[in-house]
Amino acid sequence: MANIAAQRIKREFKEVIKSEEVAKCAIKLELVNDSFTELKGEIAGPPDTPYEGGNFVLEIKVPETYPFNPPKVRFVTKIWHPNISSVTGAICLDILKDQWAAAMTLRTVLLSLQALLSAAEPDDPQDAVVAKQYKENLEMFESTARHWTNIYAGGPDLNKDFNDKIRKLVEMGVEEHQARVALSSYNWDLERATEQLFS
Amino acid sequence: MADYFQEMGWSPLAEGEAPNHLLHLVRLFIDYNMFEELGETQRLPPPASIEAVNNLPEVSINEEGKQCPVCLKDYEKGSSAVKMPCDHLFHPECIKRWLTKTNSCPLCRHELPTDDENYEAYRKEKIRAKQRVNDIENLHNCMFS
Ligand SMILES: [Zn+2]
Ligand SMILES: [Zn+2]
Repeated sequence: MANIAAQRIKREFKEVIKSEEVAKCAIKLELVNDSFTELKGEIAGPPDTPYEGGNFVLEIKVPETYPFNPPKVRFVTKIWHPNISSVTGAICLDILKDQWAAAMTLRTVLLSLQALLSAAEPDDPQDAVVAKQYKENLEMFESTARHWTNIYAGGPDLNKDFNDKIRKLVEMGVEEHQARVALSSYNWDLERATEQLFS
Repeated sequence: MADYFQEMGWSPLAEGEAPNHLLHLVRLFIDYNMFEELGETQRLPPPASIEAVNNLPEVSINEEGKQCPVCLKDYEKGSSAVKMPCDHLFHPECIKRWLTKTNSCPLCRHELPTDDENYEAYRKEKIRAKQRVNDIENLHNCMFS
């Protein structure tokens, strides 16, 4: 890796470690390898959102041309959000694309992702199914997102109704995550989800 | 009240002047938000013009403990830094490398001119479109408040 990228990550790493967000446990950054090319990020779900109480892990890959090009970031923790793919964890966020600027840091990226969890932009979706639900049925979206937070990110809100429906599909031989995706996509309508899974 | 052309930010064609079709297309795209759909916003604005970059003044750093925002290294005392029109300072090599990629300040996005005619036309149109929105808002406020 070009020296400038590695050196900068080293300096940033210190900045994040010292930052007050780390002290408040809102963001976290860890090295995955010694060459500073890959890091693991963590953000806490913001309060008063369906992600509250959850902890979301991010994969961060630093290109050789950093900071002239943005880091490549994706959610490792599965999440239900209009701007994040529920399948791959790919993120649609302008600063990770055309709005990147060389003075931004991994700390700004983590804080921007946290802000994205607080304020989705359904008109610029990464996941069309989630965005549609967000626009057409916000309450349904919120309880679905809260359920995913509970299952995948350690959030506190257990949804008995949703879990029962998933169990029914699992008993029919459907894989659990697949069942959750189908039900989430069809507003937890068991009949329609079943139809889709077995069609 | 301004005339139609003025109000739209347009000017009538001069004798023998042909309409600028590219500009019309740009205008259409902006009005219908088609740049977003075309993925135009996924792309960085073009590099700063070489002339604009060469004309950026250099200043010498006399205080200690100041950092270049691109590489995050402290400036050596007495070394020189490039000053952008927005007063932000950078190592010459750091800012020049960034400006060969895109035309704005890494800290505040202040834009330098580019050598890209299409982008300059697009930028002017964008400013004008914003101005039109403001004008309409002002007019509305005058009438209803
Ligand atoms: Zn520098
Ligand atoms: Zn600036």
